[in-house]
Amino acid sequence: MVAALIVLSLFAAQLVRIQGIDSAEVARDALRQRTLSEAIPAQRGTIYDAHGTVLAASAERRRVVVDQSAVPEYTRTEGEKQVKVGVAGAAEELAGLIGKEEGEVRTALTGDRRYTILAPNISPLTWRKISALGIPGVYSERATQRTYPQSTTVASLVGFVQPHDQSAGGGLELMLDDTLKGQQGEATYEIAQDGSRLPSADSAGSSARPGKDVRLTIDNDVQWYAQNALAAKVEETDALSGTVVVMRVDTGELVALASYPTFDPNNIGDADGVFANLAFSDVFEPGSTSKIMTVAAGLEEGTITPDSPMIIPDHLQRYDATLRDSHPHPVEYRTVGGALAESSNVGMMLIGETLEPRTMESYFRGFGLGSKTGLGFPGESAGLLPAADKWDGVQRYTVTYGQGLSTTAVQVAGVFQTIANDGVRVTPSLVAATSDGEGGWTPAPAGKRTQVVSKDTARSVNRMLEGVVTEQGTAPKAQIEGYRVAGKTGTADRYDEEAGGYSGKTASFIGFAPAQDPELVVAVIVQRPIKGYFGGQVAAPVFKDVMTHALQAEKVPPSPIEGDPIKTSLDEKPAEDTPGLLRDRGNPGAR
Amino acid sequence: MVLVAQATPPRRDRGMARRLLRSDLILLVTALTLSLLGAVLVRSATAPGSGSTYLVKHLVNLAIALVMAGLLLRLDRLALRAVAPAAYLLSLAALAAVLSPLGSTVNGSRSWIVLPVGFSVQPAELAKVALCVALPMVLVGAAERRRAPRAREVLLAGVVVGLPVLLVLAQPDLGSALVLVALGVGVLAASGARWPWLVGVGLGAVSAVVAAFTTPVLSQYQRDRLTVFLDPAADPLGIGYQTQQVLAAISSGGLLGAGLGQGEITQSGRIPYQETDFVFSVAAEELGFVGALMVIVLYGLLIARLGLAAARSDHFGRLVCVGVATWFSVQVVENVGMNLGLMPVTGLPLPFLSYGGSSMFACWLGIALAVGVGSYHRSDTNPRGG
Repeated sequence: MVAALIVLSLFAAQLVRIQGIDSAEVARDALRQRTLSEAIPAQRGTIYDAHGTVLAASAERRRVVVDQSAVPEYTRTEGEKQVKVGVAGAAEELAGLIGKEEGEVRTALTGDRRYTILAPNISPLTWRKISALGIPGVYSERATQRTYPQSTTVASLVGFVQPHDQSAGGGLELMLDDTLKGQQGEATYEIAQDGSRLPSADSAGSSARPGKDVRLTIDNDVQWYAQNALAAKVEETDALSGTVVVMRVDTGELVALASYPTFDPNNIGDADGVFANLAFSDVFEPGSTSKIMTVAAGLEEGTITPDSPMIIPDHLQRYDATLRDSHPHPVEYRTVGGALAESSNVGMMLIGETLEPRTMESYFRGFGLGSKTGLGFPGESAGLLPAADKWDGVQRYTVTYGQGLSTTAVQVAGVFQTIANDGVRVTPSLVAATSDGEGGWTPAPAGKRTQVVSKDTARSVNRMLEGVVTEQGTAPKAQIEGYRVAGKTGTADRYDEEAGGYSGKTASFIGFAPAQDPELVVAVIVQRPIKGYFGGQVAAPVFKDVMTHALQAEKVPPSPIEGDPIKTSLDEKPAEDTPGLLRDRGNPGAR
Repeated sequence: MVLVAQATPPRRDRGMARRLLRSDLILLVTALTLSLLGAVLVRSATAPGSGSTYLVKHLVNLAIALVMAGLLLRLDRLALRAVAPAAYLLSLAALAAVLSPLGSTVNGSRSWIVLPVGFSVQPAELAKVALCVALPMVLVGAAERRRAPRAREVLLAGVVVGLPVLLVLAQPDLGSALVLVALGVGVLAASGARWPWLVGVGLGAVSAVVAAFTTPVLSQYQRDRLTVFLDPAADPLGIGYQTQQVLAAISSGGLLGAGLGQGEITQSGRIPYQETDFVFSVAAEELGFVGALMVIVLYGLLIARLGLAAARSDHFGRLVCVGVATWFSVQVVENVGMNLGLMPVTGLPLPFLSYGGSSMFACWLGIALAVGVGSYHRSDTNPRGG
């Protein structure tokens, strides 16, 4: 008894310690251990196309989780009686609702783990049915699930989210993540020993702020068409890959960005496809399509006119290199316009010789080569354009016909947009507007406009490009009935990193229509086609299909064929003293 | 301390009223104060979920307990000694009954008999009372002869204690077993048993504890409960939860407490069994250090007065009072200790304060024993004294 009294006085001392000295610490520890916080996921913004078609949307889901130790107590009413059916009964009822085998569910419910995920994405309706069963230990957490109704059509552009945590994985999802993701909320609550939330506990926390919706400049209809046409051509020609870019001329808005091969954004786990959008990331030597920059530069600098006479031999010897046209030919007498329409490498070199390399470089850069578009698309490349003073002697010639420099498909589409837009380059854009959270839309800032070449220069090049799409030009297959089409074929040697040298071709056709008042640029790039490789054969038909469809989708009225064809060839050899005559004036020397 | 019984006349008087008057009023007042304080605390702990239901039941239990105590007081010593063997055997029978299909399992222990009238009793509580009479009866002979108990008497005492202990352990209810063993040791020591016996009993108790931890007598759950007090953070949502939240409740009380019905942790119902095993934490949170200290002082007073009664009583009364005092001491120390995180959680109620009919009845019967039997002062049986 005396001992008991001594112990009781020790207890009084302990009481002083707990209630006086350590009270704050004890309370904090206890609070921390009974407090749980659960993230409230923010609804991710929807991605729409230009006309409101849903490209990516998040749906509310429930993640069904299980406290395995509680399930065996499951009791259900059968007739008048309460029957304890336990795990077996729970599995039997749940299997159908979550779409799994009963045995699998039973395994998932059996054990002593306090937390295990039974089913990750359950619709709220199904969860209500599960909840109504009243199975002890079966809870749900809020979640969202991203779905891509257009599937592969726009996958490489829109990108994807990681299925396990809905975080941005690539494409526009990643580029626009800050806009789309919103602000995750947090619910903090205290829990009783059995895991249930306490009703009277202070529920601190914040509600989730949903992400903003985004409306793209992309037209899902055109995108669908371009993606299918491209895929068909890549398969048909056994090509490695391909891209199609459709751009609006006056605004730089991208209407479609097809890329193939691609992936299924609704099934990332199984995807072994290509996640990148090749229009931004695939870098290639553009070849002939870049000849329009050479001609535009000469015209703008005044060293040539569209009608400047040219004496074009089969090849030029420059330093130690023999630089040839694609097809052997006798010496030809042509205008500058004819050299472009015929896609003569030699002709371009003769024009290039009239310009300083530094001047050439500044025009290339003005047209957008060598730098990113500014969109911030994940994985976008700036292409490869070395400074002019780094060019070796031969490179100064090859760049005039698009070899020795590298571009992306979006960049070359931009070159044609500039020509089609009377010399005004507009930086490309993908986002038309962002929701303001109150039902309205905030327009995205317009693309930056720069006058790269004069309107006259652009019009002149435009006229020459119309000549390409004729029976005499390199791409009669790009003709579209009822519309005037301007464009340029490209058949470039393709640098293959794996082979460490040139291997295969890059076939391209880039053009715009209607030529007299351009609305749309369509660029078609097919990498390493095997069954046929000329741009006029492989890419031009895709251009024709996509452009035809796009013009109809954009409700561009057909235009009468009018305008005189430009003069492309000369009747006779021009005299040596003809003003502005372009001819081979000899090898500048050894390299 | 004031001794109310100072003026006790040396004359024997078996009348209950006289005996009450002659008895230790402080003891009675203390027990009554604790019981009424318990009513308030139990109400506070259960009001959010149940309103005044538990308050009323606690008071009804108290009333029944007082009636039972009064009835016990009416028995004189001879009657008590006559009834004791029957009461002891009855308690053994009840303890055996809980192990039969008659018993029902609550919180892992098969400790309850649910009576048809919607009433449930915990025979282990009543066994404590029975043992408080039966054990002194076995040992009092030696004490009256002024010599140490013989081996035969000690062994008989061991059997008398051992039977209920084994039955209680089988439920398993380690806390009650602990109380019964301590009660036995206390009474044995008071009877003047030689120290080897006491050492032997002590060793037996230690080996029983070892066995409890190493053999499947206790379920894993119970072993966990006993060990978790060493590290309450080990399983914060499991067994350690209670300990942690009880500590939090106590610590948030401060000097004067949050006020009755105002304790945040108590009122949120975070602490399971707060009206029974953890009622001390209600006092500490809502009445603060002052209230909790008052509870401790009241128990100190209670035990001290029982000790005093033992010291002043004749042989039989002394052993009875020691038994009751040991019983209360062990329960108070264990219960307050587990509230303060100093003892393992075993599920022993706090005498008078905790909600629970069986415990209330048993405690008041214990008081009645101490008052009734303990009032036969040494002077009463020894004409030379006084």
